[in-house]
Amino acid sequence: MGRKRRNTNIQKFTGSMQKKLTVLFFLILAAFLGLTIRLYAINRDNGEEYKKQVLSQQEYDSIALPAKRGEIIDRNGTKIAVSQKVYNVIVDSKSLNDKEGQFLEPTLNILFDTDIDFLYTREELKDFILSNPTSQYRIVAKKQEYETISPLMEKLGNKAEYPNLKGVWLENTYQREYPYGSLACDVIGFVQGDNEGAYGLEEYYNTTLVGTDGREYGYLNDDENLERTIKSPDNGKTLVTSIDVNIQSIVEKHILAFNEEHENEYREGAGSKNTGVIIMNPNTGEILAMASYPVYDLNNPRDITGLDIQVSEEYTTQGNIDIDVNDEKEPEEEASEGVEQVIDEDNSPVSGNTVTAPAGSDIEEVDIAPEKPKTYEEAYEDAKMEALNALWKNFCITTTYEPGSTYKPFTMAAGIEEGIFTGNETFNCTGVKEVGDHEIHCNNRLGHGQLTFSGALEQSCNVAFMDMGARIGKTLFMKYNRLYNFGLKTNVDLTGEALTNTLVFDVNRMVPTDLAISSFGQGFNVTMIQMISGFCSLINGGYYYQPHIVTRIINDDGATVKNIEPRVIKQTVSAETSEKMVELCNNVVSEGTGKTARPAGYRIGGKTGTAEKYPRKTGNYVVSFMGYAPADDPQIVIYTVIDTPNVESQPHARYATLLTRDILTEVLPYMHVFMTEELTDEEKAELDAAALTFAQSSNKTLSENTVSENSVEEEKPDDSVIVFEDEKPEEKKPEYSLDPATGYPIDPATGAVLDPSTGQPIDPTVSDLE
Amino acid sequence: MSEPERRRKPNKDKAFFDYTMLFIVLFLLCFGLVMLYSVSSYESSLDFGDSAYYLKKQAQATLVGVVFMFIVMMIDYHFWRRFAVPAYLVSVVLVLLVLTPLGYEVNGAKRWLNIGISVQPAEAAKVGMIIFFAAYVCRIGKNVQTLKGVVRTLLLGVPISAFVLFITENLSTAIIIFGIIFMMVFVATPNYKEYFLLGLGIVAVAAVFVVLVQKGVLTSEQSYRFGRIEAWLNPEAYSGTTGFQTLQALYAIGSGEIFGKGLGQSMQKLGFVPEAQNDMVFSIICEELGLFGAFMVLLMFILLIWRFLVVANNAEDMFGALIVVGVMAHISLQVILNVAVVTNTIPNTGITLPFISYGGSAVVFLLIEIGLVFSVSRRIRLKNPGNEG
Repeated sequence: MGRKRRNTNIQKFTGSMQKKLTVLFFLILAAFLGLTIRLYAINRDNGEEYKKQVLSQQEYDSIALPAKRGEIIDRNGTKIAVSQKVYNVIVDSKSLNDKEGQFLEPTLNILFDTDIDFLYTREELKDFILSNPTSQYRIVAKKQEYETISPLMEKLGNKAEYPNLKGVWLENTYQREYPYGSLACDVIGFVQGDNEGAYGLEEYYNTTLVGTDGREYGYLNDDENLERTIKSPDNGKTLVTSIDVNIQSIVEKHILAFNEEHENEYREGAGSKNTGVIIMNPNTGEILAMASYPVYDLNNPRDITGLDIQVSEEYTTQGNIDIDVNDEKEPEEEASEGVEQVIDEDNSPVSGNTVTAPAGSDIEEVDIAPEKPKTYEEAYEDAKMEALNALWKNFCITTTYEPGSTYKPFTMAAGIEEGIFTGNETFNCTGVKEVGDHEIHCNNRLGHGQLTFSGALEQSCNVAFMDMGARIGKTLFMKYNRLYNFGLKTNVDLTGEALTNTLVFDVNRMVPTDLAISSFGQGFNVTMIQMISGFCSLINGGYYYQPHIVTRIINDDGATVKNIEPRVIKQTVSAETSEKMVELCNNVVSEGTGKTARPAGYRIGGKTGTAEKYPRKTGNYVVSFMGYAPADDPQIVIYTVIDTPNVESQPHARYATLLTRDILTEVLPYMHVFMTEELTDEEKAELDAAALTFAQSSNKTLSENTVSENSVEEEKPDDSVIVFEDEKPEEKKPEYSLDPATGYPIDPATGAVLDPSTGQPIDPTVSDLE
Repeated sequence: MSEPERRRKPNKDKAFFDYTMLFIVLFLLCFGLVMLYSVSSYESSLDFGDSAYYLKKQAQATLVGVVFMFIVMMIDYHFWRRFAVPAYLVSVVLVLLVLTPLGYEVNGAKRWLNIGISVQPAEAAKVGMIIFFAAYVCRIGKNVQTLKGVVRTLLLGVPISAFVLFITENLSTAIIIFGIIFMMVFVATPNYKEYFLLGLGIVAVAAVFVVLVQKGVLTSEQSYRFGRIEAWLNPEAYSGTTGFQTLQALYAIGSGEIFGKGLGQSMQKLGFVPEAQNDMVFSIICEELGLFGAFMVLLMFILLIWRFLVVANNAEDMFGALIVVGVMAHISLQVILNVAVVTNTIPNTGITLPFISYGGSAVVFLLIEIGLVFSVSRRIRLKNPGNEG
């Protein structure tokens, strides 16, 4: 061992030291051995468990890639509902607290140097990051648009220039946007919560629109290597609807105008309890426009400003018109018991009916109030939700009401189809008809006298129709009632259609008075969509088309996935009967009660309706007009319903006919329907005053047609609207003062409202006998 | 093994060069760089957009270290003996310098000096202490064998260890520095019993602390070190906080099986084992290369330590031998403690794995130490050239 050294100055590493070093070496070796055993033990004892643990941790690594919700576009490709890619900003406090938090300030500087709308102030966010050092996922800004987020995105992608930007990442999602705000809100519906459609097309077609989320995830391949895979999201499909944004906005503009005109006129509140308009193509069942009042902003459906929230029990007491699927009454009983009070259109509400209401009818009217909420907050919350639900629901398909005289063409068509009427019948109206034990009055208490078959419809004579009903008989009457689809759903492709099977008469329980009043459209309930779909079949040759809104479903790449062709459900009447009905309804507008519905320059047909609401004798009416244009070849059918107009004297179908007229005056030229009638000087003056110049079919080509730009230009919030080349950008205000209630011109000298057809002053408070 | 060889006829002019050790060192360096790249590429590409960020920095430091190693190797190690006292003082000053504006914090601990390049003074102190105590033990000669000499020597190691412990708050480096001195003294003295008792005493004190922590007398609120003992006793209970790193490292080790998932195939390095390129690199080696790979790495360290044993036992004089003992103590302590931490055999304390963990100062000073060992080995005169190395 000991080495010999000549240099004795040098201390040697002695043998004992060498021995000790060797001992140390073996001690170290023992430690290594111990650790080796420890390593082996970990693998032996916990290997399987830890292996699973490692794999299970990997699963957290998968990221959902949201699918884009399909769009909803109108017949011309205008986007009504779109999904915008938006970004959430996520902050990872943990990595911002790393390295002594040296990245915190620079990162905050960059974040708050952008236009991003953060949920927190800079100080709040800093406090949050410092007090939650383990948090790795905190959304600090929600649904920011690309333009806002792109500067940050660039900085995040540029690590070389922004090395201190840490712990921030972006997550993309989609936000539903409705470029037109409240336009067609009842038809479209909105999206709530987790991409869940509510109401309208959004709910009905939710599964089509929603698509399938994709996922980015890691998985182990056969060699147990981790691989990452992206399963792309399957974007939702786009709905092409039959709605025409321009027609829809014309309709909504006039509904709004009507309701604003009559706001607070007779009582506090809106111009009507509700106003609904549907425009439909009778030859396909496609709905061109469907609107009601009030409307709500689809981009902010829960906005309650302007909403009348009544926190009281009174709130639950509703008129008959609000019966819906959840709130059904027994119309048969009501009708048979309350029949004495039935008054048809154009009758004065204070007519001094001789028959008193039978005992118990009032009790029928009392709604069962829901359980009284415990606190005011709860009651308020309930009332708010009820008010919102009332706002969101689609009046045109959900609300049921008694149609009134607009049902008369249906009665007539049944009789003609069955050969009961030849068209040569005459009727004698004395103003009242005794049915069973009851006297049922005509709208004209003095009686219409002798009426021809056509005259009965033109004058909307209840007595004549009660006679017709009696001659048809209840069995046939109800057979046709069912054939016209009353009591059944139309299956229009919208959520919330009311089921009316209990709201129509049961033929076995029908008494003569039931038949009498149903012949002029009282005593049973319908929805607007049922009425217009049935009426379309009366004038289109007898084909009952299933009403629908979506005409095509296209996928993300623009390829058509499904075409929804017009679907004839059944034949209601023959082509001959239909032809006859067109002729009869044309007469209503040219000779009878529907005169005021005719837009200048056009011939149209239709039928008015004025139905007294429950409870009877309170002066509340549903006034309506069912019309079509042009008269000789119907291209569109329009149905206007005004529930409880806010006027002193309600029972005037004029409110509906004038609204219809205003709408058609703009819609028909827009649809390139040519004027066929001579314009009177007054009409010309009126059209000029409204700055509406129309194409004369004789000397102008299609492209030169001038269309009213009012609705299109004003209500267009983005550039995606198809701009018609014949639009004129300039806009003129009417210079001619018009009566706000009727739209009739006002004599500037006397201030009296003038009847445009006679030029004579008329008194608006006097019942309109038409 | 070497003993009979040396008994043969010596050729004093033939210089000895330990190629075995050179091979082992270069192998560990290269292996370390490969593993470092594998472990750090994911996180560095996330953090810096460059998967080779850590690799590049470490490779630069390694190159510098290798240059220093050869320079030191060429210099006769006796040259350093006259700098023994300055080495001690410089070590102390360097550690104290972190209190000046030159010092800066990383991850909550003030351990770094920024003098153009960033340096961990504690790493330099390890080299300084090895030289100082080798010289000191030689200087007091036989006195070291007395109890007084032992106590005095050990007491000399207390200030530097205390500075490291309290100023840089680096318990593990303090333990290692004191451990190096302790082992050098152990080798230089003939007794066993005292060291055995001392070792027993240290274990007993540690056990008392552990029991107190276990009983809840000492908690993490008093010192984060007690929190680490809590996490060590029951890592699952602290899986979200103090036990997270340890537990993830255990998952990595346990999921590696015999031959591992394959180089570069670790899942735990994908953000689960925090700072895997530093203290926890061994767990990723276990995961990727399996038990087999881990044993091979440990075997390389054993071989290196065995070479140190050979060089020390054949050193020209006691100063050289003690330098080698110091380096041997340093490396073996660090490997043992690192692996013990990774396997949760002892509470978590930040100790890097020599040659493999990321750390520029560590590898440079480590290679300087290796240079010293080479310098010592070069003075060995072989009696039978060609059989050694």
